[in-house]
Amino acid sequence: MNLEELEAEVTRLEDIQEIENLERIYGYYFDTRKMKEIVDLFSEDTESVEIESHGQFLGKEGVRKMYVQGAGGEGQTESGQPAATRPRPVGGGTVIIQIGGVITLAADGKTAKGRWHTWLAETFPFGGVMGQYWLHGYYENEFVKEHGKWLFKKLFWNTSFYTRFETGWLVQPIVGFLPMPNPDNPPTAFYPYPSGYHFPYSFPHPITGEVDKPEFKYRHPMAV
Amino acid sequence: MATLEELEARIQRLDDIKQIEQLQKIFGYYQDYGEWQKIVDLFADNEPSAEEADRGVYKGREGIRRYFIDLLGDGLKPARPGILSIIFQLQGVVTVNPDGTTAMGRWYGMGMEAKPTASLHEGELRQTWINGVYENEYVKEDGKWKIKKLHFNLTFRTPYEDGWLKVPVVGQNGPDRVVRPDAPSTSYAPYPSGERVPVHFTHPVTGK
Repeated sequence: MNLEELEAEVTRLEDIQEIENLERIYGYYFDTRKMKEIVDLFSEDTESVEIESHGQFLGKEGVRKMYVQGAGGEGQTESGQPAATRPRPVGGGTVIIQIGGVITLAADGKTAKGRWHTWLAETFPFGGVMGQYWLHGYYENEFVKEHGKWLFKKLFWNTSFYTRFETGWLVQPIVGFLPMPNPDNPPTAFYPYPSGYHFPYSFPHPITGEVDKPEFKYRHPMAV
Repeated sequence: MATLEELEARIQRLDDIKQIEQLQKIFGYYQDYGEWQKIVDLFADNEPSAEEADRGVYKGREGIRRYFIDLLGDGLKPARPGILSIIFQLQGVVTVNPDGTTAMGRWYGMGMEAKPTASLHEGELRQTWINGVYENEYVKEDGKWKIKKLHFNLTFRTPYEDGWLKVPVVGQNGPDRVVRPDAPSTSYAPYPSGERVPVHFTHPVTGK
């Protein structure tokens, strides 16, 4: 290797580390309800953000709608002040663990994709009564390097289950739906357990190089 | 100041660790979806082996194929509706050997499952928490890191409703009688045996 090749290798390893940190920091900000800080982790050219059954939100404006006005944003306006109309529920909170990042950098080093597990312990007044929940889902996110910094370009959290601590995923895979009032599109792939949905991997097979093209024919639970 | 060759070797080591970490995590994602052929393709060409819980050791390419495809994949028949297996690959410590062609890694497997278990309520899906420790070996073949030896040591697999103290293990039945292992289990000592899975690595400070 010459010096240029070495530099390219170091940059590649640093890029992967930066993206792993970015995803983890996103999780810590969510846990600590720093929603304005989350908005600033997204590119101005953000494609979309989609979580759970909230619907799909487009562009940077969609990011603000999702995080500041919507999911987890209660109790904080964009300026960081408490929102009088949406008091923060007492005892509510999330622990969102970001697990198992597999990051695939584009050949030009300017964009990347990554898959993670998310495992949540959540306390949330679902249906007006405070409850304790286990959640699981997979992220498939996209990133872009702008001015030397990695940012989110697309975020998609695909729910596996959202269950009560007291019951578990087999007994009650989904406690209910949480659509937000103003998405640009309905959820694009909200097929929780036990649908058998295969959320496609962004990474190729590390040995064979095979690209993931799963076939999924959704079968409605009421279909015989 | 290091020479170019020394720098290259150091970067290679970091890259090897990263590739092995990704390999193990990708194994986990394939396992979640029961993609057994893709898992078989992650194993080394040369003398691979797999051993999980009390199922015994499966050896060689043929053993790997029999274990994942014939046994776990049931011949790649469509999975029963409602089967769930999400097992996180956590907290890897990867040690690349000095020659850079073999490596070892320790991981937690921690997960949530819904499976039929034979020891209670036979055939009925049950929801379980599962936890165990991997001590795996890896080999670089044709420039790519592959799994040489997979060894998952079960700590507990407990019904969701009970917990590990009450019921440490359900759903382990010993070696399969049809798709037989090539050798008996080398270790199987779940909670509350008190046994610890030996670590492959040396102490990072004392070197012992």
